[in-house]
Amino acid sequence: MPTTGSKQAPCPPRRARFARGLKLGLPILLGYMPVGAAFGIVARDLGFTPLQAVTCSATALAGAGQFIGLALMKSGATALTVVAATSVVNLRYVLFGAAMSPHVSRVPLGGQAILAFTLTDETFAVNIDDNRRGNADAFSMAGVGAIAWVGWVSGTALGALTAGLIGDPSAWGVQFAMPAMFSALLVAQAEDRRHVVIGAVAAALAILLMLTLPADWYVLVTPVLAATLAAVVYR
Amino acid sequence: MSATYIWTVVIGMAVANFVVRFPPIAVLSRVALPGWLRRWLSFIPVSVMATLVIGAVVRPDGVWLPPAHNPYLLASLATGAIYWRSRSFVGATIAGVLLFVALRAAVG
Repeated sequence: MPTTGSKQAPCPPRRARFARGLKLGLPILLGYMPVGAAFGIVARDLGFTPLQAVTCSATALAGAGQFIGLALMKSGATALTVVAATSVVNLRYVLFGAAMSPHVSRVPLGGQAILAFTLTDETFAVNIDDNRRGNADAFSMAGVGAIAWVGWVSGTALGALTAGLIGDPSAWGVQFAMPAMFSALLVAQAEDRRHVVIGAVAAALAILLMLTLPADWYVLVTPVLAATLAAVVYR
Repeated sequence: MSATYIWTVVIGMAVANFVVRFPPIAVLSRVALPGWLRRWLSFIPVSVMATLVIGAVVRPDGVWLPPAHNPYLLASLATGAIYWRSRSFVGATIAGVLLFVALRAAVG
């Protein structure tokens, strides 16, 4: 499969598939813009220039990892500690990448790099759901990734440039944008009885592990345990 | 906070995030995975989503909230139900945020 950008050979289906991905990712844009704006505001407050805040969002695209980074910077952590902590928080992307790998085996390495770069909780969930329905391909997934990136980066720019002008974004309920999207995506994953059971088991395990494990380790440990249980029970 | 410190973190985060995202895709998509591993991986998405929802709604911002006074939990259940009926991510997400604002005023 050739990569994107061959201008001399117009291929509407390919463009149409990318456009389909953009549309599919629209809720991600809606969710990311306000949260990205919140990141921009907090980063400016901490001493980032707008350029630094926007560069961070544009190159890391790390959501929670970026917020945790800011919190650690505020407490005076070394750069190495900040980077290590955001990596640990985002170790779940290893799982996401592994789960995505069978679906992108025919995508060339460069295309895989782009899809990997735009891999987030939300793009993963939307693309996995689309794959399950048999609709996803490299171009639609790139479209989902592109619109997510635009939402996160433009939101950050908005927040960083207007920091101090707009009030507390939490007044508009923006902190629920991501949980709302996760809730819908969880229901979308519940395709049959087995998946409903696994979801419920994972939810219970998550609460147990939140109470027992330090920091946010439950984010990584819960899916590993739940999927292992499922693989053993559902042979 | 020095510019060097901020830029070091920004570049470090960019590199670190690509390193956890790219190699698993690049390597695992090029090898034939055994059946048990494929089956295990097929259960990862629903497990991850359940984990992320729970984390976001029972302990928002690191504070445990009692269920009856937790607008996150109540709005999350409503959002899931709305998606179940409508099958619209955009609609469910927007309705969920509006419900959250209303519930926060009512019970939060």
